[in-house]
Amino acid sequence: MKIIRVNMNKKTIRSEDVPQDYAGLGGRGLTSIIVNAEVPPKCDPLGPENKLIFAPGLLSGTPLVNTSRISIGAKSPLTGTIKESNAGGTAAAALGSLGITAIIIEGQAPEGELSYLRIDEKGDISLVSAKGYKGMRTYQLVEKILEKYGKKTSVLCIGPAGESMLTAASIQSSDIDGRPARAAGRGGLGAVMGAKGLKAVVIDQRGKSADLIADPEAFKEANKAIVKAIKEHPMAGQVMPALGTAGLVAPVNSMGAFPSFNARKGVFEGWEKISGEAMAELIKKRGGNPTHMGCAQCIVHCSNEFVDKEGKYVTSGLEYETIWATGGMCGIDDLDTIAKLDNLCDDIGVDTMSTGVAVAVAMDAGYKKFGDSAAAIEMVEEIGKGTEFGKILGNGPAAVGKRFNHNRVPVVKGQSVAAYDPRAMLGNGVTFATSPMGADHTAGNVVGEYLEQKLNPLNAEGQVEASRNLQIATAAADCTGICFMAYVALTTPEAWGEVVKAINAKSGTQLAPEDLIGMGVRVLKAEREFNRKAGFTNKDDRLPKFYYEEPLPPHNTVFSISDEKVDSTFDF
Amino acid sequence: MTSKGHLRMKMSVKLFGTLRERFLDYRHQDGIEVEVPDGATAKELLSLLKISESEGAVVAMEGRILKRDDKMQQGAQVYVFQAIHGG
Repeated sequence: MKIIRVNMNKKTIRSEDVPQDYAGLGGRGLTSIIVNAEVPPKCDPLGPENKLIFAPGLLSGTPLVNTSRISIGAKSPLTGTIKESNAGGTAAAALGSLGITAIIIEGQAPEGELSYLRIDEKGDISLVSAKGYKGMRTYQLVEKILEKYGKKTSVLCIGPAGESMLTAASIQSSDIDGRPARAAGRGGLGAVMGAKGLKAVVIDQRGKSADLIADPEAFKEANKAIVKAIKEHPMAGQVMPALGTAGLVAPVNSMGAFPSFNARKGVFEGWEKISGEAMAELIKKRGGNPTHMGCAQCIVHCSNEFVDKEGKYVTSGLEYETIWATGGMCGIDDLDTIAKLDNLCDDIGVDTMSTGVAVAVAMDAGYKKFGDSAAAIEMVEEIGKGTEFGKILGNGPAAVGKRFNHNRVPVVKGQSVAAYDPRAMLGNGVTFATSPMGADHTAGNVVGEYLEQKLNPLNAEGQVEASRNLQIATAAADCTGICFMAYVALTTPEAWGEVVKAINAKSGTQLAPEDLIGMGVRVLKAEREFNRKAGFTNKDDRLPKFYYEEPLPPHNTVFSISDEKVDSTFDF
Repeated sequence: MTSKGHLRMKMSVKLFGTLRERFLDYRHQDGIEVEVPDGATAKELLSLLKISESEGAVVAMEGRILKRDDKMQQGAQVYVFQAIHGG
């Protein structure tokens, strides 16, 4: 296993053995530990001192199912904090198969220079001029790259938003059909990639590393048990294939926690029109695919292929958070508009969540009317065109709030919240406030605890503990490369034991189940430490003021957990 | 006095996720009209609908998730779906 260091000033590429300090880490564990160790905390995120790190999970590239998450880390230009954003697709498996533990992009290319990093079947790596791809949107870019290198190619890339260093810019990841429909959307990592002068990472999927699995027999056994656990789990085995994450529209609206009209209401009147059920039905009726395989080695198939009235492809992997941000938050109850916005965001290379919420803030400020589909599409198009307003929108909700002098901006540390209102799901508020990532639904989502009736979402009791435990567990899971959809089926002691067995069988280690949780603690501590050194304090672990003052219908409650209690989240 | 169980309560149930697939004539606009004994719990409603515990079913009424022992209300709009832990 090796780490690849690419210096964008000097155009050098160096391969090194994984140093002791980084041994046994993968995914988010690796990106965050490296950022904390190597990036000056007060550096300019868009300057040469920042580093952009791509790390497949510990199990990525093995035959284990659902291990296709790639973590991307850096100091975020959106939040100013440490950042890890992970994406599905095929790149994690391709890198893992080549025995590459991480790629670290250092320095900065001279202004105006654009390259892509090519990794071929043998693992030979080169920087190639991307002059001809300048300003290109991601769908066209990936099509051209696949024409050149063949279909067995994985692409991680940025669109025009990343090249312009807009702070809501994403890094798009190609799926098994060669479409850049997966995204490391959060934290503006596309802007860091643009600042480095890197348009894409292009990886041959056929690479094979001889030393990938230490104990193949034990590994096979663990894989078998993990497949069984996933297949038998109601969420992973039934709901995800049928509806994908869009299945959350119904439960969250039923709980009055679906932030709509820029978080003025907790139930969106039109939610049944944009629910997972409605979407699956519409896709089926039009001849699209509601149960699509998006990522390498996936047995869950939570993705979908959304088609228009003529049956023509619009987008794939249309997710709950996107449906919320570009739908409910903007007062839009039309799936065709939402799918179009999803495709535009992927193509331009911006985070669907930050972008949808930025549009919602503009609407809330009176710039356009809530529910105006044409206006929403036009606004997002402006990001691609690089207009003055487009640049503001592409810098996310806080930039839009500033432009309109509007203070109802649902962000924490500059990053937009997700589709669970903190006033009606208090624990999610704790996670949004305290996660080292800024507001983040993937950093410790409490919604499952509410749905399983383990916790009352409106009662302050137990929320901090739930958020803490889930933040730790998620940080651990993010090290493995296992996607969240499969991970939920693996949280029982038996199944978690099988995950640990698989890691040990791969690496020849002797980890115990608690060691993996310990990894989550280590990662969170490193992230928190980086943020402290960057100047963040407990005072930054707060939600925007309106969550404490403005009751959310229908429950008409506010975020009621004291600052003191919130500050105890990281007491471990 | 009427003892518990003699009175019946009616409510409208809408099904989500994959739960609706087992009811052949299910129409989502209408949902299902269900009659349960007075004082029936969420657990009893699920049992009446033949939805087993292992399916991760969740009962919501009046904007709240019900615990298994919580009582159902006459005339309520009830939603039944499956637990999802995030997206």
